[in-house]
Amino acid sequence: MVSSKKVVLLGHFGVGKSSIIRKFVNNEFSSDYKVSIGVHILKKEVQLSNNDSVSIIIWDMEGTDSLTLINKVYLLGTHSFIYVYDVTRPLTFKSLSQDIISLKTRFPTSLIKTVGNKVDLLTDIEKEKHQVLFKINDYLSSAKTGENIEQLFQDIAIELKH
Amino acid sequence: MRKDKKLILLKELLLTDDRALIGALNLKINTLESIIEQREKLSQKVDPLIDLKLQEYTNDIPKKLGPMITESLKNEILKSKNQVVDALYPIIGKMIKKYIQQEFKILSDKINHQLKKRFSIASFLRLFKSKFMGVDEESLMLQELAKTAIQEIFIIEKKSGLLKANFSKTTTIDKEVISAMLTAIKSFVEEAFITGEEHLEAIEYGLYNIHIQNFESYYIAVVIHGVYDTIYKSKLKSKLLDFSANNISNTTNTNLAEKLAEVFKNGII
Repeated sequence: MVSSKKVVLLGHFGVGKSSIIRKFVNNEFSSDYKVSIGVHILKKEVQLSNNDSVSIIIWDMEGTDSLTLINKVYLLGTHSFIYVYDVTRPLTFKSLSQDIISLKTRFPTSLIKTVGNKVDLLTDIEKEKHQVLFKINDYLSSAKTGENIEQLFQDIAIELKH
Repeated sequence: MRKDKKLILLKELLLTDDRALIGALNLKINTLESIIEQREKLSQKVDPLIDLKLQEYTNDIPKKLGPMITESLKNEILKSKNQVVDALYPIIGKMIKKYIQQEFKILSDKINHQLKKRFSIASFLRLFKSKFMGVDEESLMLQELAKTAIQEIFIIEKKSGLLKANFSKTTTIDKEVISAMLTAIKSFVEEAFITGEEHLEAIEYGLYNIHIQNFESYYIAVVIHGVYDTIYKSKLKSKLLDFSANNISNTTNTNLAEKLAEVFKNGII
C-alpha cells in the first residue's frame, strides 16, 4: 500500500538542500520557478517492503536567513521537516536550536530531522571540534558523496509510516 | 618483270602510309574491344558488390549519420535562432491563418445551421434560457457549439497539498507532483495578492482553464478545455457541491477516485 507524505526541506542559502535531493528524486517540475514562488516540488517513492511504500512529496524551500521569511502557508500540513545546514559555515547553524524549538512549537505533531551537510569538506580534527554540535544532529551528510542521503529518507519514510 | 617490280614499288610508295594508318587503327580497335570486354567482365563481378554496398550504405545512413546531422542541425539552429524564427515566422503564420480560417468556416456553417433551425424547440428553449438567465442568445449558441470538456479533476488536501483522488482523461506528469505544485501556486497567490478570506478561483492558460473550488479541508481543481463562462462555472460549482456532499465525506480515497470517474467519465456536465 502506498501512502503519501509531505516533507519540507529548510535551511540557509547554499547549504546544499537542492543537491541533497537532486539525485534522490523520481519526479520533479523544472526548478526555474523556484525564484518566483520560493519552492521547488519533487517526489520520491520509498519502498519499505514488497507491498508497502511511502510516496514522499518534497517541498524544497528557497534558502533564507530566517524561518520567519518563509511563506508560512507552505509549511502547513507538513509531516516531516528536514533542516539542513552547512557544517563548514557557522552562520548556517547559528540559529539551529532556536529554529528547531520554533518548529516544534508551531508543528508539534511533525517529525523534525537536522542534517549537517558537506561533511566531506571537514578534516578529522574539524569534525572533533564540532562534536558537541554534531551530537544534537540526526545526520551528517554529503550530497557530493551521497553519504547518509538515502538513509535519511528511508528513516523518515519508516517513521512516518508508523 | 621489270614492269611488275615497278608496279610493286609504286604500290609500296603509294600504300605504305595507308597501311601504317590501318594497322594503327586496327590496334586501337583491338585495344578498345578488349577494354570493353574487360569492363563487361569486371562489371558482372563488381556491380553486385557495389549494389550491395550502396544498399548497406543507404540503410546505415539514418543510423550512422542521423545523430550527427540532427546534432549539427540543432547547433546551427541554436546559433542562428533569430534567422530561423524569421524564416519560419511567415510560414507558420500562414499555417495558423489557414487553420483559423478553416475553423471559422466550420463555426460559421454551424451557426448558419443553428439559425436555420431558429424555430425549433431547442431554439425556443435557448431563447427562454437567455431571457431567464440574462445571458445573450449568441453566447448560449456559441457555448452549445464549442463543447466544453473536463480533462482532469484533482481533489487535494488544502494544507499539505497531497492528492486525495484524481480523474484524468490524459496521461500527464505525476499527479501528486501536480497537486503539490497547484497548492504551492494557490498558496503563493493567496498569500501575495489576496487579502482576507478570499481564495484563488481559477487559473487560465491558453485554451485551458483550471477551475478551483474550495471546501473546508480540501479543494477541487478541474482542468477544462473550451468555453469557461459564468453559466458553465455555475453549473460546475453545483455539480462539485453535489459530488462533495454525496461522496467525499463518507468515502475512502480509493473509492473516491472511482466515484470521480463514474460521475465525470464523459467529461461533460
